[in-house]
Amino acid sequence: MIGLNFYLITSIILFIIGIYCLAVKRNMIRLIIGIEIITNAANLNFISFSAYAKEGFVDPLARSFVIMSIIIGACIVAVGLTIAVFAYRHYDTLDVRKLSKLRW
Amino acid sequence: MFTETIDILFIFAVLAPIVYWIGTKVNFNKLVDLWATLGFILSLYLLYFIYEIIKIKEIMVITIAKGLLPISWTFEIDALGVFMASIFVFIGLLTSIYSIRYMERDTGLAEYYILLLLMVAGMVGVVFAGDFFTFFIFWEIMCITSYVLVAFRKEEWEPVEAGFKYLIMSSTGSVMVLFAMSILYGMTGTLNFAYLASSLSNGATNLWSVLALALVVIGFGIKASIVPMHSWLPDAHPAAPSSISAMLSGVVIKAGAYALMRSLLIIFIPEAYNWQVIVAVLAVLTMSVGNLMALLQKDLKRLLAFSSIAQMGYIIFGLSIATFFGLTGGIFHVMNHAIMKSLLFLCSGAFLYAVESRNLDELAGIGRKMKLTGVMFTIGALALAGVPPLNGFQSEYMILFAGIDIGSMNTIWYIFSAIMLLNILFSVGYYLRLIQILMLKEPTKISLKAKEAPLAMLLPMGILAILCIVIGVYPGPFVSYSSSAAKAVLDVGQYVAAIIR
Repeated sequence: MIGLNFYLITSIILFIIGIYCLAVKRNMIRLIIGIEIITNAANLNFISFSAYAKEGFVDPLARSFVIMSIIIGACIVAVGLTIAVFAYRHYDTLDVRKLSKLRW
Repeated sequence: MFTETIDILFIFAVLAPIVYWIGTKVNFNKLVDLWATLGFILSLYLLYFIYEIIKIKEIMVITIAKGLLPISWTFEIDALGVFMASIFVFIGLLTSIYSIRYMERDTGLAEYYILLLLMVAGMVGVVFAGDFFTFFIFWEIMCITSYVLVAFRKEEWEPVEAGFKYLIMSSTGSVMVLFAMSILYGMTGTLNFAYLASSLSNGATNLWSVLALALVVIGFGIKASIVPMHSWLPDAHPAAPSSISAMLSGVVIKAGAYALMRSLLIIFIPEAYNWQVIVAVLAVLTMSVGNLMALLQKDLKRLLAFSSIAQMGYIIFGLSIATFFGLTGGIFHVMNHAIMKSLLFLCSGAFLYAVESRNLDELAGIGRKMKLTGVMFTIGALALAGVPPLNGFQSEYMILFAGIDIGSMNTIWYIFSAIMLLNILFSVGYYLRLIQILMLKEPTKISLKAKEAPLAMLLPMGILAILCIVIGVYPGPFVSYSSSAAKAVLDVGQYVAAIIR
């Protein structure tokens, strides 16, 4: 059986990848994907903690929380993509550096 | 189900499209506006009953079954929750009255009122929540509706751009808080505030809990616009419709301040984690940067947005003192700033409604044409500057004296208080400049065309302006209201005992 630490290391790597994506990437869609990666890191944390908390017992709190968090993540992506579509209609590009009328 | 206050807001939000449809059938387009206003009035009325219960019982717990407690959803309402919720619903009510005339040139009003009602419901849920599960769901309801409201006028470039920036930065903060929650869950096996407090307070600090603390401060700090994370605010708040700017600047950033207060004072207690000086440095940075940048702005709403950042610095400074007096001042300033900043944004909305301009050079002298709005704007600006008979003075100086009071223990607090005093004096400069430009200069060609705002817009502004004066002249009941909230948030033992018997 794989130990808890492997899951934790994976989720921290995912977290760092997400932060890197938000800091470096300049494409609107990629920024939204970066947020999703961090959400998944947190979800993986919840699931692995709930499975390893007690022998032979899975905590229902973490499972239901993760389901809610996936739903909320989908809502954020939906709103984000909608705004990206409108931005694309205004500027004909998805590069946030071109959205420079306000200072980023 | 989720206390009557939130239920009413949800029911009115769900039924709003049907009401809008009926309104178009009977040729009375304002029906949905009046419907939303009625929803806020009912919600405020029902909140009063919760207030009466809290006054006697101090803490009210709502959950499915007590036996399931560590893992079920919980509402735990104390004096701070009721205090915050009353401000949120009250400002929501005034915004809704204001929107009757202000939003009449826009389409999509059914969506607008659904989003407004849901945003207030989300904020009330955030301050009532007793565990991170409930907290996170309502937090995201508040966040997602506010993203859509910022980008509401999607035909223009500015709201779309500002909305996207706001969405990326603010949801980064939310997911950081989510990650911190997962760490806290792994350490304790629960998400309930009371259980978290009791299991984290006696244990020594370790790497994981400090990481969680850092993520919580960054995540909520983004929403509360603490300075290294503030850059979304000066874009998002001016880009939204003015009524929504008043909501965002007046109350939504206060939800961030509330979340910081709750998590820092109950879960990461100051005795174990010693975060006071770090948070105070952030607060001092926030007020200085906000005030400096506000001085340079030419856009009226952008100036007000930067002044919001500065005022959040005062509130966070009151929190970082973490004594009873500091918190009373901070919580009292939450109320005062909500009143003053909503007043100013509503007034700037009235100018925008009259002449379609936010540029200070073009707006010069407009107060001479719109006398009532101009007078109310002057009252709000003087209150923000901390001029004595108005409400800003009371809370700003309360925070200042709390800072000087704690200085006898650690000298560094004298320096922080001195910087805050300098900031208050410095900020008078640009508020007076604002009054001088808008009220005293000769009217320009554009501002000569202005007509006085309609009654539905003057009424909420008038109520807020009168409140500015009343709280300034007679602060007694308001101070005791906020000090009861401060007492509730500092009394961790009572908060825990209501859940764990």
